[in-house]
Amino acid sequence: MDFTALSETIIKGNMDGAVKETQKALDAGSDPQQILDQGLIAAMDVVGEKFSQGTMFVPQMLRSAKTMQACVALLKPQFQAGTVSSKGKIIMGTVKGDLHDIGKNLVAMMLEGAGFTIVDLGVDVAPEAFVKAVADEAPQILGMSALLSTTMPSMKATIEALKQAGHRDKVKIMIGGAPVTSQFAKEIGADRYAPDAGSAVSEAKGVLAAG
Amino acid sequence: MHSLPIPTFQPRLKVLSREQALAIHTAALEILEKTGIKMEHEGARAMLVDAGARPFEGDWIRIPAYMAEEALKTAPRQIALYDQNGKKAMALADENFYFGTGSDTTFTLDLESGERRQCVLADTGRFARLIDGLDNMSFAMSMSNPQDVPKIEFIYVYAFAEMVKNTNKPIVFIADRRQDMAKIHEIACLVAGGEEALRRKPFLLNYSEAISPLRFPAHVVDRLIFCAEKEIPICLPSGSNAGGGAPVTLAGAMALGIAENLMGLIIHQMTRKGAPFLFGPNVSVLDMKSTVVSYGCPEWSLTQAALADMRDEIYGLPIWSFAGATDSKAVDAQAGAEAMLSIVTAMLSRCNLIHDVGYLEYGNTSSLEMVTIADELIAAALHLTKGIPVNDETLALEALDRVKGAGSRGIFLTDDHTFDHFQEALFLPELMDRSRYDAWMAEGGKDLYRRANDKARELLASHRLDPEMAPELAKEIDQLLGKL
Ligand code: B12
Repeated sequence: MDFTALSETIIKGNMDGAVKETQKALDAGSDPQQILDQGLIAAMDVVGEKFSQGTMFVPQMLRSAKTMQACVALLKPQFQAGTVSSKGKIIMGTVKGDLHDIGKNLVAMMLEGAGFTIVDLGVDVAPEAFVKAVADEAPQILGMSALLSTTMPSMKATIEALKQAGHRDKVKIMIGGAPVTSQFAKEIGADRYAPDAGSAVSEAKGVLAAG
Repeated sequence: MHSLPIPTFQPRLKVLSREQALAIHTAALEILEKTGIKMEHEGARAMLVDAGARPFEGDWIRIPAYMAEEALKTAPRQIALYDQNGKKAMALADENFYFGTGSDTTFTLDLESGERRQCVLADTGRFARLIDGLDNMSFAMSMSNPQDVPKIEFIYVYAFAEMVKNTNKPIVFIADRRQDMAKIHEIACLVAGGEEALRRKPFLLNYSEAISPLRFPAHVVDRLIFCAEKEIPICLPSGSNAGGGAPVTLAGAMALGIAENLMGLIIHQMTRKGAPFLFGPNVSVLDMKSTVVSYGCPEWSLTQAALADMRDEIYGLPIWSFAGATDSKAVDAQAGAEAMLSIVTAMLSRCNLIHDVGYLEYGNTSSLEMVTIADELIAAALHLTKGIPVNDETLALEALDRVKGAGSRGIFLTDDHTFDHFQEALFLPELMDRSRYDAWMAEGGKDLYRRANDKARELLASHRLDPEMAPELAKEIDQLLGKL
């Protein structure tokens, strides 16, 4: 089955068109997992590329992500419970004492657009809350955001708390935010650092590829 | 017969008509009345509901327009800031403008190596001292988020103490919560000679922020109330950046930011009528490629010029604004171009308190050289803004006659009129290089960045405060810091 038309509508952010194309593909008997992988996620890969080349802007990228989500919603009932495979689950949150969330939200949306399932804990998230979420949700990745020098130590405290609770080995940790550096990530024992939302997606993919 | 002197027209930028200003104000009031505010501070919420605000959905409230109009009536039109010697230094009112640095950058360009490295407390001191020595800079902010403080939860107290020790000019400071703000207030009282003296002659202003869209966290309101009670001047922009916390269209972003400012002002004036409040949201833009909040874009200059118009048409309160900053990572042509655009427009639109001078990399890095360059850009802009005085002396017909009379060798350079007037008639740059090529090469062929580096080093080595802090006072401050 050829998904070019579907991919085009996603790339253009044409919500109605994309939903129609998805329905058409389903009606034609296509495999939902194939629609997801070759139609939707493939389109988002193109979007990501165009963005890196500077021919697409953030609002257009987000619109494509939203369009994709609308199609995913249509696919969901078609899967038997548990057979749709998302790329993986990521917990996101801004650390304790920090209320900056625009960057964290953007990273979460981009990851979602790339096919990850996101659990967003919001802002001002205490180490214990991160630990509890990791225990409850069993994500592949924990993403922490900090925009203040004064709240960066809370990232380290969270990693320590995860160790204490015996969960550190079960999850990869990715951190970011304007004052955060790859050097700092190394110092506190985080697995990955990304300077922006685009590279956060490649880092997340990298984590999963590394297994 | 005597005729009146011809007044000098001083160039002025206007960007909003009265209708536009009123429409934005009306939208702001509508946001307060219809959309509402998430007021997370219980005490403030109760006080507002008592006074006529209507609660809904948990901690949200809707605020009738008259409450904003009342607050605008009681807030003072002038905020006078003093230097640490008790002399009036900044009359924040009407069309007066004052430039100064910005707060917390994570990195700074090292003066020796030129490398971008993390800020330390000594940097806070260096920036404050540089400000003290630069003629066109009126106030200091920390310009750094020092990594080497003994207790990170009191970072803003250490930074404030470091500034107080290194400049006598007014200080704009940050605090995180009521507790560290109270410590900063204690230090300020030591400097001013008691709480009452500080109240009468404040040398400091707090920069706090609500959160666009529509959110007032409890600890922010705590600081707002503390400042109102102590009459520490305060501003409360909310970061209503176009496309991020606020609508991408500038009118909508301004309406939202102004609504949030009015909310802050209402709480402030209800806490203490007549306490000083510097008006104004920060309305920059979220860059649609990099997703940084830009510090070099033309839009921020445009929105603050618009705010100055709204001040003139409606609010009458002094305003908070920015200039002399850039998104560039280096002190380069982009940095100079972006800094100059915002400096000129801030001055032409008569913004009042103008901060962030010397920021690189959208506020992530600071540079002593950039501050030094901006100081001269401000001087150049000032020359432009003063306009062209027109009178018999400046029309200089007599001088023309003399030069004509001198025959073929006549040139104005040798005339007394030139000798008498060149210093005020012309802008005489110090850092901007106009030397001939050979002379420039003989001096080492240095670009502006290098020349500014030389000047900054020289100033830091030679400048002394007038007076330097008394050792007893420094000791008292250190004792206070030791007990944190
Ligand atoms: C907007 C803003 C605010 C808004 C926040 C609104 C909101 N809902 O988030 C408001 C006005 C509330 C605010 C408040 C304050 N702020 Co502020 N703020 C900013 C500003 C201008 C932009 C931040 C932003 O939203 N950028 C846009 C987003 C999209 O970019 P981003 O956050 O960097 O995120 C990207 C990357 O960092 C990365 N990323 C982010 N998170 C993550 C997570 C992961 C896992 C990964 C992989 C990647 C990643 O990807 C994102 C997308 O590309 C910056 C300066 C600047 N230009 O960066 C200052 C800044 C961050 N703030 C600062 C300060 C000091 C404060 C205040 C203390 C000021 C005060 N006077 O009170 C308060 C603190 C409040 C608190 N307790 O949190 C300082 C921090 C300095 C420091 N080193 O500590 C800065 C740098 C400004 C400055 N130079 O002074 N702020």
